[in-house]
Amino acid sequence: MAIKTQKLIRDFLPAFRRKTFLKIILLQIVSALAVAGILFGLLELNLADMRLWIIVAIISAISIIINIILTKIAARPAKDLLAATIHISGELTDSTPPNPNDKYYAGTGLDRALQSIYDIAGAKSEVEASTNNPTDQPTVVVPSSDKLKSALDTTTCGFVVLDNKRKITFYNKAAPIHFDSENTPSLNVIFNGSDTLDAWLNDCEQHAVHAEHTWTRIPDKLADEEDRRLFDVIASYDKGSANEVVLTLVDRTAVYSVSEQELDFIAFAAHELRGPITVIRGYLDVLSDELDDVLAEDQKELFRRLTVSANRLSGYINNILNTSRYDRRHLSVHLNEDKLSDIYDMITDDMQLRAHSQNRMLNVNIPSDLPTVAADRASISEVLGNLIDNAIKYSNEGGVINVTAGVKSDFVEVSVQDFGIGMPGNVVSNLFQKFYRSHRSRETVAGTGIGLYISKAIVESHGGNIGVRSEDGKGSVFTFTLPIYATIAAKLQAGNNSNEALISQGKGWIKNHDMYRS
Amino acid sequence: MLMPIKTILVIEDDRFIGEMYVRSLMKAGYSVDWVVDGNDGLITARNKSYDLILLDVMLPEKRGTEILSALRGGKEDLIPNTKVIVLTNFEQDDKSRAEMQQHADAYLIKAEITPKKLIEVIRQLDN
Repeated sequence: MAIKTQKLIRDFLPAFRRKTFLKIILLQIVSALAVAGILFGLLELNLADMRLWIIVAIISAISIIINIILTKIAARPAKDLLAATIHISGELTDSTPPNPNDKYYAGTGLDRALQSIYDIAGAKSEVEASTNNPTDQPTVVVPSSDKLKSALDTTTCGFVVLDNKRKITFYNKAAPIHFDSENTPSLNVIFNGSDTLDAWLNDCEQHAVHAEHTWTRIPDKLADEEDRRLFDVIASYDKGSANEVVLTLVDRTAVYSVSEQELDFIAFAAHELRGPITVIRGYLDVLSDELDDVLAEDQKELFRRLTVSANRLSGYINNILNTSRYDRRHLSVHLNEDKLSDIYDMITDDMQLRAHSQNRMLNVNIPSDLPTVAADRASISEVLGNLIDNAIKYSNEGGVINVTAGVKSDFVEVSVQDFGIGMPGNVVSNLFQKFYRSHRSRETVAGTGIGLYISKAIVESHGGNIGVRSEDGKGSVFTFTLPIYATIAAKLQAGNNSNEALISQGKGWIKNHDMYRS
Repeated sequence: MLMPIKTILVIEDDRFIGEMYVRSLMKAGYSVDWVVDGNDGLITARNKSYDLILLDVMLPEKRGTEILSALRGGKEDLIPNTKVIVLTNFEQDDKSRAEMQQHADAYLIKAEITPKKLIEVIRQLDN
């Protein structure tokens, strides 16, 4: 016996439609033949007369079309009710759930039928929720709407209700609301990048009947403005309901602003450090030049060590600044067409000096004929610097470090390989987290643990990936990819060279320095 | 054809950093004037035509941003034959930085630019 597969709700309509259309066409053919028979019998028309058959064919065709149209019109309410049922049943579908507030349904009663179906879904989830919480009191005292409003105005939680046109129909005192010149209220918060309320609502309109979403750390003002508040925003969406969207805004300023201040302090401190660093690096540059003829070789080596250390210090300060900007969602990269070999050229002297002074052998093979990439020069040179710096740290005296690059589908892939202490697998998964230091590095190597964290942030903001392969005791290979410029040129130009079009979960980046920074 | 860069005005309030630039630029064969505050910077830039101005941002009396917009922000470019390199350690907000970049020929972070690299950048501007 053949096993009959369980049909889904969404399978019903197409099958039903096919059957109905087939029946219409068959019945039409039968009735056309009957008409032809009658005409022939009564009027004794000549069967060979083509005109008779043409008339019969035209009449049949017209009635088939009319019948199909009438069937569609007649079946529309059933189709919409079915579509609503599919959505609340949770079956996968790409259709848009019918909107009870559509003009087509207004005041016909069908709007209420659709609403009832959606309400069933709402009631169902409420039942589920209350069965999880058996102490729920079944009787609810409903306060008068004035009382409710004054109660809502005393809470520190913001409530905002939007109708199906996304117009604000209610807001309480604590809600961050802004009025335009015509006194129309609008929500006054700044979402990050493309993850906005509107984007979510667009998505809901297409695919959802009931939905909920939470955004955290949403400010109402820009970073350096006064009286800035930070909210967690919880939105619930209820298709077709008079209060289609209800927003709850929890003011979390007290919790979040502490870390904001800390980050500001870090950024400030890092700026202050840059002044003396400028002087140290500059004078070392001047002095080692001017004293070149005077100094003995071992003294020159001491100068090189000073230079290497000052350069490293400067790199760490950049890491701290970038991390603080990234955590405040202020880091941005400005992508331009660039050659990887040219980017490396900017730091090659510094890197060779660094490797040499710490007795490592740095082999760099970045072909100059690789396709151009979309990159922010300063940021990518910081990533390269971080990876090479790590390779130096975690390899042994006299060790070799290989830097190579090649094409991998739509990307250029860069690898930095060392033959140092390596890591076991369980370490690798935590490696790109902030302040993470690997098992042995805590005892043996100094560092802040933010180099890889910020490198990952920078690479991903380019639309690339960063990863590592490592074997305990044998060494590690860090690789990162950058998109080939030609593959994303059109997107970039449309987005004014910012990375927003590239990064779907964009985080409100601001531009970095796009002119040469070092 | 453009004349190669010969005369340079350094507007920089930090004595250590100012002297460092002046010393290495003079050694490299440039003729250099140095002023330490914003007002003097603007006056000097308007009185004499330099081939290049090195402009700090955080300056006493007048910020580098104000100097640059006074020189180039109006209808008329008051220094059409002069190139401008902005040198700063201060991370400006996006808007003011974009505005400065628009009017400057380069925008550099001081801590990243040793005198040697600065001279390389100046030579690149010559091309």
